[in-house]
Amino acid sequence: MSSDNHIIVVGAGPAGSSTALAAVRAGASVTIVDRKTNVGIPVQCGEAIGKLGPSIAEIEIPPESIRAPIRGFRVYSPGLVSVDFAYNEPNGYVLDRRVFDKELFARATEAGADSLLGARVIDLTRTIGTVDGIVVRHQGERKTLKAKVVVGADGTNSEIARLTGLRRALKPADLDSCYAYEMTNCDLEFSDLMEFLLGSQVCPRGYIWIFPKGEGRSNVGIGVGGGFGTKTAREYLDHFLKHHEVARRQLSKAKVIECRVGALPVCGPNEKNVVDGALLVGDAAGHVHPITGGGMGYAVVCGSIAGKVAAQCASEGQVTASRLKEYEIQWRKRYGEEFNRSLKLRELLIQAEDETLDKLAGLVTGESVVRLAAAKKIKILVKATATGDTKLIALMNGLRKLRMV
Amino acid sequence: MKSSRAAKTPRKKPSKLALVNGEMCGLCEGCSAVCPANAIDVLEAFVVVIADKCTGCGTCLKVCPVGAISLVER
Repeated sequence: MSSDNHIIVVGAGPAGSSTALAAVRAGASVTIVDRKTNVGIPVQCGEAIGKLGPSIAEIEIPPESIRAPIRGFRVYSPGLVSVDFAYNEPNGYVLDRRVFDKELFARATEAGADSLLGARVIDLTRTIGTVDGIVVRHQGERKTLKAKVVVGADGTNSEIARLTGLRRALKPADLDSCYAYEMTNCDLEFSDLMEFLLGSQVCPRGYIWIFPKGEGRSNVGIGVGGGFGTKTAREYLDHFLKHHEVARRQLSKAKVIECRVGALPVCGPNEKNVVDGALLVGDAAGHVHPITGGGMGYAVVCGSIAGKVAAQCASEGQVTASRLKEYEIQWRKRYGEEFNRSLKLRELLIQAEDETLDKLAGLVTGESVVRLAAAKKIKILVKATATGDTKLIALMNGLRKLRMV
Repeated sequence: MKSSRAAKTPRKKPSKLALVNGEMCGLCEGCSAVCPANAIDVLEAFVVVIADKCTGCGTCLKVCPVGAISLVER
């Protein structure tokens, strides 16, 4: 436990387990600490993941956690014009997060990481300003655990982020307030496409999702922008299930087998994710796609980078922020631009009115959006200009600036 | 214990206090993440509002997905 290159990872979700796994593989000794006693429960997620993230992170997706292979998705505009974005072959999965999280955690421990469950972080210890351990409440006692590096993989409401000062209180609009049902007896149109529904009436600043989970099951949920709209996330979702034609078509006989809540940081990554002796990964670091809310892929990739860097720094005994910054440099190199662009795109989409989104969807509906040839893109732009709709043209110009079309 | 970084002590005792209905709360922790006074702690199975820190500002109400939080008179 108290070896010289010890690393403490707080949080046993995908970010924490992948960090621990990478650190153990790089020769560090690791303890994973989680506040909960059941890893993977409760599920707070849409449960979709692309193949790319785990393969970059050199993490095999546990086969037993896979519920449905996914080829892509269908987006419904507010006026129900649909746009498909699908590959011929599956490029992702809908998972059972209970199994996924638990298996990754199990593998991290099998690779050599220690675990401490039911331990709530209440403070950090520091030596001359450098974080060198955590103070936890565990089974009614106060305990101090020492480490060379402390990794905060403890989610949206990260205590490590708060204690290191890397993140102050979020603003409501920084969050998506989520509510979801796991359902059976679903009659889905597609077993390998995810469905998204947009619209200020359906879901203010956010979307409703319907993700197939195989065997007539699905994960149906909503993410509403914090402080947006007039109802709670659950009320919006229940209203959708009762009254919306897309829901009635597919979910009229569906039964709820689990209710889930979640809070997603969709404001982009924290400005800084390292301090002397500590760093942040996953939701705690804001590694969540600002539009889709997807975070597992980023979590495992950034986690694997964090694990390697933390192990390296710990073994060298050099854990200052300037050394740990290597982690920040590496993840930003891979995803920094993606996050920046998505944040800008999100602004465009928030400002766009329902009607404008319908018109945009009308321009591309029926096309194979995955590989739009340059000529096709120009044709779409020309069509958009021909409508003479200033709002649509403004939106297209915005998309052009982001090199989306 | 925790430093008092975000806990602004108001001059007057605030008139309102956030109250979390434990029967509705699903433990998403959104309220705790947005609380400007750092007054909401999440324990293993429930959420607690620290009355001494809560300023009754109502920020937490905006992100609760199930409407489990209300403001009550002190």
